Amino acid sequence: MNVARRMVRWGQRKSPWILHFNTGACNACDIEIIATLTPRFDLERFGVLLKGTPRHCDIMACSGPVTRQIESRLVRIYEQVPEPKLVVAVGSCATSGGVFNGLYNVKSGIDQVIPVAAYIPGCPASPQAIIDGFAKLLKTLEVGK
Amino acid sequence: MTVGTAVVNILVFPGFLFLVALGLAGEFVDRKLYARFQNRQGPPWFQPVADVLKLFGKEDVIPEEADRTTFNLAPVFALAAVVAASLYIPLWSATSLFPFDGDLIVVLYLLLIPTVCFFLGGWYSRSVFATLGAVRAITQVFAYEIPLFVALLAPSLLANSWSISKIAAYYAAHPWLWLVNLIGFGVALVSLLGKLERVPFDTPEAETEIVAGSFTEYSGRRLAFFRLAINCEAIVGASLIAAVFLPFGLGLAPWLGFLVYLGKVLLILGILALLRTLFARLRIDQMIDFCWKVVAPIAFLQVLINLVVRELI
Repeated sequence: MNVARRMVRWGQRKSPWILHFNTGACNACDIEIIATLTPRFDLERFGVLLKGTPRHCDIMACSGPVTRQIESRLVRIYEQVPEPKLVVAVGSCATSGGVFNGLYNVKSGIDQVIPVAAYIPGCPASPQAIIDGFAKLLKTLEVGK
Repeated sequence: MTVGTAVVNILVFPGFLFLVALGLAGEFVDRKLYARFQNRQGPPWFQPVADVLKLFGKEDVIPEEADRTTFNLAPVFALAAVVAASLYIPLWSATSLFPFDGDLIVVLYLLLIPTVCFFLGGWYSRSVFATLGAVRAITQVFAYEIPLFVALLAPSLLANSWSISKIAAYYAAHPWLWLVNLIGFGVALVSLLGKLERVPFDTPEAETEIVAGSFTEYSGRRLAFFRLAINCEAIVGASLIAAVFLPFGLGLAPWLGFLVYLGKVLLILGILALLRTLFARLRIDQMIDFCWKVVAPIAFLQVLINLVVRELI
């Protein structure tokens, strides 16, 4: 791996910008994601910034089982994110469908629709769990792993 | 000055590369101070470098609807204009690299080009959010640009020159006269907040309303250029204000003068970060009201004071 590529990989590891997308959650996980980004938990220590537009983001934090209505939107938002991109499923519903698993109006989990890089379980996932999940995901991006 | 040294001066030191390095350091200082004011840890020192490297490595998406030429050129033009402006500002020596009479006006116009590029880039993205941000950016120009011009031209009334180097030399020769311009210094700082689209004047890129304003459709390399342009603009704007309003330490040894210059820029960046922490975002109409009804009259008051002082001395 040459030097330029190494430097870009290092940049990707140190500067993950997040897009928060609710794929039909009950709002509990969304509150926890927002809480994680407040000064109390200070995710900017890891270079994380919340971005409003998919064009700027590197990591999509999705919460909720994918409802039938939001499925096509999720795919469309995912395709708008420039490469390289990662998806994190936050909460039990996003991971497996949770209590909604098997219902006629929802898919069971984000990975039924788009590829997911990390799963953060919890109902709702606590800020500590979310920070831990992000830190572990960023660790997998290290060169040689 | 030979062509070789001129090229080195423009591209490396104290031109493009030096300015970019200083701009990235400035962004770190701003974000770290902002974080400390909010009682949190804040980003590590290499954060702006990591952001830029990552953006250079990302895929570059151009929307199908967008006008390709303008969309591509706007970020480059914004950065180029800022770097060009830096060549006419005396940083730590008594004169700038290429001084001439009237360079103050040229610098002010060069610093206007990035805002016009934000407008053009946003407008030709053909996205609703970007268009709204672009219109707000160009509306805001009319509010802060007049006070900025008036505030920066007021000191030149006393110095009787439109050359930044001569203004700096005049105030260095007349110590304590810079105290007359303190009101103008405040006005220039407020206008610089508007120029850099920082809180409380960040309506053009208000992320809670219009996602990222003009930059909504920008990704990868072009977004990195825009970020670099804004970072460098902060440094160039701070240097300009420092050169006009804080004329100390110009005759010192180069390294000492350089330290004094860094101190002045740090002071201005610190004040900007403090203002960013203290205030919430103004609506676009409140911003224009504030600039025209409060800031502009104060700037004209500064001109009046300078005219009176000029008669007295």
